[in-house]
Amino acid sequence: MWRSNCIKLLAFTQKSWINSRRHIFTVFEILFWPIVSVISVGLLTRFIALSSEMTAFVLVGTMALSIMQVCQLDVAYALLFEMWGKSTKHQFLAPVSPWHMVLGSWFMGVARGSVVFVLLAGLTLWAFDFNFFAPGVVPVAAFLLGLYLTAMVVGVLVSILLLLFGLRAEVSAWSTVSVVLLVCGIYYPVSVLPSPLAYLAAWIPLTYFLDAFRVHFGFAPEFGLSLAKGFLLSGLYLVLAYWGLSLAITHSRRTGVLLKMSE
Amino acid sequence: MLAVEVRDLVKTFRNGWFPRRVTRALRGVTLAVPRGVIFGLLGPNGAGKTTLLSILATLLLPDGGHASVLGHDVVREAGAVRRRINMASGNSSFLWSLTVREILDIYGRFYGLGRRERQKKADALLDLCELRPYASVVYNELSTGLKQRLALAKALLNDPELLFLDEPTVGLDPDISIRIRQQVADLRNRKGVTILLTTHYMREAEELCDEIAFIWGGQILARGDAESLKRQIKVGDTITVGLDHPDGDLSLAGLPGVLHCRVLENSVECLVDDARKRLPDILRSLQDRGSVVSDVQVSEPDLEKVFIELVREGERRDVAV
Repeated sequence: MWRSNCIKLLAFTQKSWINSRRHIFTVFEILFWPIVSVISVGLLTRFIALSSEMTAFVLVGTMALSIMQVCQLDVAYALLFEMWGKSTKHQFLAPVSPWHMVLGSWFMGVARGSVVFVLLAGLTLWAFDFNFFAPGVVPVAAFLLGLYLTAMVVGVLVSILLLLFGLRAEVSAWSTVSVVLLVCGIYYPVSVLPSPLAYLAAWIPLTYFLDAFRVHFGFAPEFGLSLAKGFLLSGLYLVLAYWGLSLAITHSRRTGVLLKMSE
Repeated sequence: MLAVEVRDLVKTFRNGWFPRRVTRALRGVTLAVPRGVIFGLLGPNGAGKTTLLSILATLLLPDGGHASVLGHDVVREAGAVRRRINMASGNSSFLWSLTVREILDIYGRFYGLGRRERQKKADALLDLCELRPYASVVYNELSTGLKQRLALAKALLNDPELLFLDEPTVGLDPDISIRIRQQVADLRNRKGVTILLTTHYMREAEELCDEIAFIWGGQILARGDAESLKRQIKVGDTITVGLDHPDGDLSLAGLPGVLHCRVLENSVECLVDDARKRLPDILRSLQDRGSVVSDVQVSEPDLEKVFIELVREGERRDVAV
């Protein structure tokens, strides 16, 4: 049984891998946008003469956003590519579960996200003298795991929207992360947010992962037990998101959206 | 044991907000398909064929009624159904950038097949569907016929006990259609696969199917084998008698069983209730009138005629209601 599950899961990883190799825009997602983003933000920190601590603050946020975007896209692509190829029904006709789809494509997201991290870490070290690896292996690994888990939640949310509204919701694949940018303290601390947004930020796991990682660059923590809270929230949202995804699949089977996505 | 059992199946689609469009795709369909047959579901576009097939393949949920496939309820035991069935559509599509072999490999994984098993299976299917020369060609570069053959190959990956074919030859050249029909017939004959096929090509259904059901307006109008359907609808047979020296009154309209008669230049064309019963009387009557018979042709109605009659009957019934 476990062998069969592994094979099904890796089917989605393989599909994502082939898609990543064959489409030029997926290469852009790894190389072009993250590098442009880090270089422009890094140069901005020079221009406005930020201190090394503040530069670290902003670059950690930029890095987090780039990695999350790449990783969540892979989860969303498991459905999006099928919709673009009008082949969704074949995937849902096969005896695979939603968790095969989510986890299998997330593996590819983790791989692509890690490539982005290594690339950007090298770039920031070379161009801005900022070392992402300075906190050590465990904090970096915890930070990355937190980003990947949050990305999985975002990817599943995008998939839910796609199943409910069809290709009309495809723009959510690229825009949902912007909400994170607004409230999670990517470029500024959560404490500067007006109270409703600060309250919202406290419900998003990425806020805690950023907070925990920035502590290693000399910032005082804004929350207690940040990592624990981040992982706890991620776990909770993953369960809820998976439940939502199952409901969305049932709904699309009821309304016929699943078939329309194959026409 | 039945391959498919459907009772009072209802499906309605609701689209848009204002105005809300309501389409009653299935209106109480009841159907039983025995194992090991090729069962044809015939009807025009929008009749409900694909909706019924999609419910049976677990891609759609019904609003009411009951449907079971190979003994499993399609709603409560969808996973068990999916393991034992597969489906190929005439308008199937796959990811445009994957090669033929990659598509077979990925779908093989979806069915939990190990590496060796997948390779063996893919090789066998590439040969069976004559796709081997195209194994490394990406989907987007395949012709329509090759895409259809690939859809069939993918549908055979898990050795399904029940195969749904939705308009498998739509838009294909005649020679390719013939090859696909042969493959479908072989599947039933050699492997005993039950096949539920939708088509709006009457000839295809007549040639392939052991049993046929006519669907129209979300309802089954009639079912049976092609012969019994023709008898059931009583469209009538046509007897055309060629004459060497036609002379005098040749109208045979008064003979028992003759529904209509037309006298042409060198022949008489009669529409009769049953050609086998009426032919001797017609020939005798013509001989009695001094006509020399040169040629006799008997034609039975084709399924198309039967279907048109059934639809007319359905429309009359709807108007009456």
